[in-house]
This record gives sequence, structure tokens and C-alpha cells, in this order.
Amino acid sequence: MALVGNIRDFGLSDFLYLVDRGYKTGCLHLSRDEEKAILYFEKGKLIYAARHQGEQLGDLLIRQGKLSPQQLDQARQACNHGGNSLTLTQAILNENILSHEDLQQTLQVHTEESVYGLFGWPDGEFRFEQGQKPDPAEPIMPTPLPVENLIMEGVRRIDEWGRIKDRIPSTDMIVRFVEQPGEKAKGVKLAPEEWRVFARINGKDTLADIAQKTSLSEFDVCRIVYGFMTAGLVDVVKKPKPAPVAGSGQAREAPRIKKSLVNRIINRIRGM
Amino acid sequence: MQTVKMVISGAVNAGKTEFIRSISEIEVVSTERRASDDTKHIKKETTVAMDFGRIAVSDDLVLHLFGTPGQKRFDFMWEILSEGMLGLVVLVDSTRPETFRETNRIIDFFTSYRETAYVIAANKQDRPNAWAPDELRLALRQPPHVKVLPCVASERESVKNILLELLYVIMQRSED
Repeated sequence: MALVGNIRDFGLSDFLYLVDRGYKTGCLHLSRDEEKAILYFEKGKLIYAARHQGEQLGDLLIRQGKLSPQQLDQARQACNHGGNSLTLTQAILNENILSHEDLQQTLQVHTEESVYGLFGWPDGEFRFEQGQKPDPAEPIMPTPLPVENLIMEGVRRIDEWGRIKDRIPSTDMIVRFVEQPGEKAKGVKLAPEEWRVFARINGKDTLADIAQKTSLSEFDVCRIVYGFMTAGLVDVVKKPKPAPVAGSGQAREAPRIKKSLVNRIINRIRGM
Repeated sequence: MQTVKMVISGAVNAGKTEFIRSISEIEVVSTERRASDDTKHIKKETTVAMDFGRIAVSDDLVLHLFGTPGQKRFDFMWEILSEGMLGLVVLVDSTRPETFRETNRIIDFFTSYRETAYVIAANKQDRPNAWAPDELRLALRQPPHVKVLPCVASERESVKNILLELLYVIMQRSED
């Protein structure tokens, strides 16, 4: 069953977060007017991206001088002989045509730039096909790419304050870590001012407090924290309201209900 | 006669009216007239007032179900409806990701207002392009302890299951 939608309503950063947390394997098809893009994921990590119709990454490797047409043919033949179980990437590495590091770096730079370009789309139809895998004859990255950095970079490129305001309606909100950030933070590369904000997150200070302590503008702090939120590192909560003084007015407490009464309702609904 | 209240909320066309209609013992009180705003492009009729349903638990206990108005101009009703409610069902149209942001706004409102027992009902799970509950949980960024449940609001058994799951959450917070 495909997930479908428009990135105008459900942004690419949000979708990458979903793919990452859901350990998704499949293909994200994007289209906007005449432009198309495809991104392949394996267990939540990116393995392949192509922006243009008919773009072949094998030809990219030739254009960048990483291998010759003959070497590409050699690898494709080895791939064909290996049947469906041998991918072009494995054939290139097995035949020692390129080193792991060289192939990874070339494909990674191309893949990252392909994805960064997509963050500039204001809208576009998306369709995620679960389980769909790339053609074995296309070179995928030997080491799949975690998406956290893609998300952070994508957010850096957002210039829509409105989208940030949706998630952070006020600078009077407290920032806190979702969980111990150690493992997730390892894969995230932050700019110096992002580190300044990251180091100030203590579950008590508001965005306004952090702006004051770091001498950054409130907008910059919100933008940076929005990036952390989209990457799943932090969330924001409203400042708890002070406890109402006795007799000062109606306290907003949930009604205390007895278990016996809840049981009666449960039994009634079960019997309907 | 004691009355208790549950609130059924969600974005426009999430299925609130149908949800209450499937389980209510009385004809759902709703105003059915054609809306004058963009919602008319989504469905032929839409409510412009609250939905209200009722389940008689016993001679001395009644459960009222209140559906919140979907349109933004009726947001002021949320605070009024949330007074004294036992719990909240947030319905999501699983086929329309463009409504997820509004759904988050609804959840944020009700949960910031007071400690609220709630479940999320991923409605329209019978449609081919519906997002699965696990995917909705990630899209709505809900923590693991919040129940995100499959739902088909036109099916009584499905609606019963949602209400029961909410009652189990309420039970955990109730006193002996």
C-alpha cells in the first residue's frame, strides 16, 4: 500500500523523519510539473537518489572520470553473470574497479545534492512504494546514508517562517530532549551556533531564555530548534501554568472518576 | 441521573459525525445544511454545529458524546466542550496527510489545557490509500504510550473498540 500526498502539506523533512523512525524500505517517487525524482531507502537509510528522467548513475561515474565505459561494461557483465543477487555496486567493488571509499564519496555527494535540491520544492506529489528496490544494474551507495543530516540541511534551507511557527508557536515554550540524545546526536553534524543552542537545552529554559543566553536572535534559535525537532532530537512543551490559588477561581482539573463507574460504561459498550 | 461526557474531535471531514452516528442510541443531533465555505468541495453536506450523541449506560448513568465543529471559526467551542470531559477521541482522516497539521493543533490544544486521557483514531482504514496507524504515529509525532488505533467510523464494532480503548486509558487514571 503506497503512502501518497503532497509535500506542500507534509514536508520532505517530515517524510524523511518518518522513513528513518519507521525503518522503511522502499522508493519515494516525487513529481512536480515536468520534474521527477526518486529516492530509495533501505531500513530507514538512503541508498540511491536520482533527479532527472533516465538519469543513470553509472554514466555519472564515467562523466566524473571515476571509471571508463569499458570498466562499466565489465562491471555490468559481471552483474549479469551473477544473476539478480549481484548488484552493480558489488560488481564494481568485487572487480576492484573502484575502492569502497571512492565509490561511496562520489555517489554520496551526488545523492546529497539531489536531495538538497528537492527541499526547494514548494509543492510536489509524493508516493512511497513500500518494499520497492532499485534496479540491480544501478550503482547504489555501498554504505547507506543516515537521513538526520539530510533533514538538518534541509531545514537550514527553509525560509518559510510560517512552517516553523506551526511547530513553535511561541518563544515561551520549553525545549527538552526527546530521549538521551547520545546515539542520535552522533550522526548529526552541527554548525557552531547550532552547538551553542544544543548545549543550552536543559528541559527548563524556554526558547527566549536560550536566545538571551546565547546572544542569538529568537528567530535563529527557533529555526535551529525546529531543525532539532524535525530530526527527532528535541520537542517543545508549554511552560506549566502556576498552580491555582485555592478559592481564586475554577481549577481546571480533570474530573476524578471512580473505577466502578468506568467499569459500568465499559460493560455497557461491550454489550452493544 | 448522572451524565458523563466524551469529546470526539478532529479536522473537517475526519469522520466525527459518522463516528457518533455509528454508536449513538439517538439520532445524532447535527445541523445538516450545505456549508458556504470550502468544505462544500469535500462533501455534499457538512455540519456547522456540534454533533451530539447519547448512550444510556443504566437508569442512572448516561454517556454523552460531543463532536467538535471542524471549521476553525468554531475553535472557541473546544474550551467549553472540554470542561468536565472524561476523555477525548481525536479522529484523523488517514487518507489526507494535509490534515495532519490541523490534527496536531487539536491535540496540542486539548492536552495543554489540562491532563487529558485521549486516543487517536486513524479513520478510513478501509480506503486503499490510508496511512497505517504506525505511520500516522510517526507523522503526528506521538509518543509510544499514546494509542493510535485503526478505525472505520461507519462500522459500529470499530467505533466500539475505539471507545473501549479510551475507557481503558481513563481506567488507568481513575481512583478506586
